[in-house]
Amino acid sequence: MSEKNTIAHRATEGTEINGPGCGSSSATSVSPCEKNSPLLRVRNLSVSIGKAGILDNISLEVPHRTVFGLVGPSGAGKSTLLRCLNRMIEMTPGARVTGSIHFHGQDIFAPTFDSDVLRTRIGMIFQQPVVFPTSIERNVLFGIRRLRRLSRSEGTDLVEKSLHEAALWDEVKDRLHASAQVLSIGQQQRLCLARTLATDPEIILMDEPTSALDARSTEAIESLILRLKTERTIVLVTHNLGQARRVTDWVGCLCPSVSTGAGEMLESACCDAFFGSETCRRVFRTLADDETLS
Amino acid sequence: MAPCAKSFRPQWILWSCTFGVAVTLATLLAALLMLVWQSLPVFAHSGVGLLTGTDWYYPEQIFGALAMIYGTAVVSLVALVLAVPLALGAAVLSAEYLPPGPRLAVKSGIEMLAGVPSVVYGLIGVLFLREWVYKGLEPFDPISGDSLLTAGLLLAVMILPTITTLCDDALRSVPAAQRAAARGLGLTRAEAVLHIALPQAAPGILAAALLGLGRALGETVAVFLVVGRQDGQLPGNPFSLTAWISPGQTLTSKLGGPETHIAFGDPLHWSAMIGLALLLLLFVGVCLAAAWGLERMMRRNTDPVAEATP
Amino acid sequence: MTASRRLIRFLLPSIAALCAMFALTAVIFILGVLLVRGLGSIDWAFLTSDTRSAGAEGGILYQILGTLILIATALAVAAPPALAIGLTRVVFLRSRPRAARVVDALLHALNGIPSIVFGILGLLIFLKFFDWGKSWLAGGILLGVMILPTLTVSLVERLAAVPRKYIEAAVGLGLTREQIITAVWLPQSWSGLLTGSLLGLARAAGETAPILFVTAVFSGATLPTGIRDNPVLALPYHVFVLAQDSFNDDARANLWGAALVLVLLVACFNLAALPLRLNLHEESRHV
Repeated sequence: MSEKNTIAHRATEGTEINGPGCGSSSATSVSPCEKNSPLLRVRNLSVSIGKAGILDNISLEVPHRTVFGLVGPSGAGKSTLLRCLNRMIEMTPGARVTGSIHFHGQDIFAPTFDSDVLRTRIGMIFQQPVVFPTSIERNVLFGIRRLRRLSRSEGTDLVEKSLHEAALWDEVKDRLHASAQVLSIGQQQRLCLARTLATDPEIILMDEPTSALDARSTEAIESLILRLKTERTIVLVTHNLGQARRVTDWVGCLCPSVSTGAGEMLESACCDAFFGSETCRRVFRTLADDETLS
Repeated sequence: MAPCAKSFRPQWILWSCTFGVAVTLATLLAALLMLVWQSLPVFAHSGVGLLTGTDWYYPEQIFGALAMIYGTAVVSLVALVLAVPLALGAAVLSAEYLPPGPRLAVKSGIEMLAGVPSVVYGLIGVLFLREWVYKGLEPFDPISGDSLLTAGLLLAVMILPTITTLCDDALRSVPAAQRAAARGLGLTRAEAVLHIALPQAAPGILAAALLGLGRALGETVAVFLVVGRQDGQLPGNPFSLTAWISPGQTLTSKLGGPETHIAFGDPLHWSAMIGLALLLLLFVGVCLAAAWGLERMMRRNTDPVAEATP
Repeated sequence: MTASRRLIRFLLPSIAALCAMFALTAVIFILGVLLVRGLGSIDWAFLTSDTRSAGAEGGILYQILGTLILIATALAVAAPPALAIGLTRVVFLRSRPRAARVVDALLHALNGIPSIVFGILGLLIFLKFFDWGKSWLAGGILLGVMILPTLTVSLVERLAAVPRKYIEAAVGLGLTREQIITAVWLPQSWSGLLTGSLLGLARAAGETAPILFVTAVFSGATLPTGIRDNPVLALPYHVFVLAQDSFNDDARANLWGAALVLVLLVACFNLAALPLRLNLHEESRHV
């Protein structure tokens, strides 16, 4: 398992770069983690559900304003790891978590730490878009309305801003009062994104946000992610290595351990470094059986 | 004969099933028609006065059921007002907050209330509830512990398990993904229940209340024992509550009483009693029909049997 | 987070818990009272001897027997139509959803009919038209019609859970519909009928209103010898009558005993049905 320091090393050593450049043009920059403290720091995180071990001793760091990708074969525990980051793992019966996750330096599992407040600052997009049975406008405002008082005009402005940010405004601007459930699935996913953006989170967790979508919607969401990361941090779980290569800056690779079956972090590296690494090739081979690299 | 030609084979099972279903349907229909037919004399005699008349005095052939309808309404209203919030609260606890083990324990515990026969409820009402109500109402100088209020209180406990189970089912039928999405936005669990689960379960909850109402309307023995069985207790002012704490009469308590036997000899009296039974059926029928409609709305027109047999 | 949100986050589960506790307290109270007051009167003599002195002394033998006779009759009356309606609903009406919904609605309606209406109907049919006098059979038939939905719904649930693969295999072998019924549907569904029967028996045992007019008497009957003018004693009716009249303390003790026996009888049937109900979704046994 590589330590963060050696990763920065490899990036500056100029490791072989395979394929198209990763994420954005900042692919060759040094790890921001060296300069500032990371936004999210996971240390020795282990998770078990009932008797089964799901994650084993995971450590990683998510820097500010980047896209951090989590890749790996099915069943490695990527979604579980994601759910730990906003403490939604607690909604799974029988889940036990050890280790620590620090957000802005504070341990999120501390008893005094309010998990509901945490989730307003770390938002989540699920694989299957979940729209509430109400109008588009109400969907966007659903979360933020509970958090603070919004005047009529503030609300309308926020709806427009969030829908713009989610690249959905043009398609729905004249039917904001229509039911959200008539939207196509790609539009619904962007609506979920708008809804999350309305609460202005610092981090957005995305659990395979495009696996249920067609190619066009996938493309739209991917360019959205690239735009979003200028202001926010994104942690993205994806099955699709091509997607990881296109949008992420940093990649963490989770694999089920041969001995315990629980997922362990094989490598956490800058995107370029990862896709040229030995680990990637090794896991890549097994991954190539799983799905295609598109 | 061609190798695959159809030959006539007697379908015993189909025929006997059809026969069974037909006989059952015919019997029920006949029973209903018989009720209607037997009640005709009183409608000829009093017309709609059966429903609007305030007095019931059979020796002089005065048959007005309004006081009984009022009694039935009050008793059921008290029962619902008490039972629905309690049942909903218990259902919210079991469906939204409890893990599977305690949930089963709480549900089973509450369902035990449903396993107690109504006559035993009546017994408890007579020997306990009556005293408590009498003592509790002392400032109002009640006549006795038997009253519409007492019957309503007893009924509330009787219909509690039904409504709780159905509310629990309704809440559980709201998909977990909806709650997860709400939690992911930072809403508290209570907010997810209040703004996501409850609104989406509302038709089912309403159906539960209606079914509870139907049961309350039709309950006889327990109500009979604690309602006081006093005719003609229609208050002059519809908003006065004195009638609630005085003995009264409901449709079921009248039907379950000695008058049914007395009426046996007199055709008009008898027909009046049948008329009461029809009224009761009508009220219960409306409740059930409304609940049925709501349940179908909740299931969104899917046939549960066709779903189970994929 | 605002104070009001925090308040609601605390209040909702607290209020919900209070509601549940109220309901559970009611259960504990009712069962507790029954046990405390009734257990003392129950012994072998109580269960096997006749009632004397209008309930003040003696036992409840014939009340128990009468109840058992009534519910056995009810089951015999309800089971054949339940089977017919159940099979029709699941097997024959599979391709006719509208008719199936009608059957469902009718069962729902039948289940909701107040028990006193059954009593009145019984009075009308068996006393007025047939002139049977008070008869055990009349009560049995009324109770049977009353528990018909209970049996049918349970059977339908079980039939609907038969995995399609068995049906398809049978069809593939060339079995006719009748043969499939006897070879696949029925053998897989007996547990449904059994569960429904137990639940129906529990329900029938506790009912007073249907037997009020046409079957039960308070005293003077033992075992029926014919149909007409052959009333029986019954536990619910016994409790009902004693609860109304003033009585002395001995009778009161026996009254609680009778009530407890009734509740235990009903509970036995309900509990017996429980394991089957919990196993509803298990994989069916092989034919």
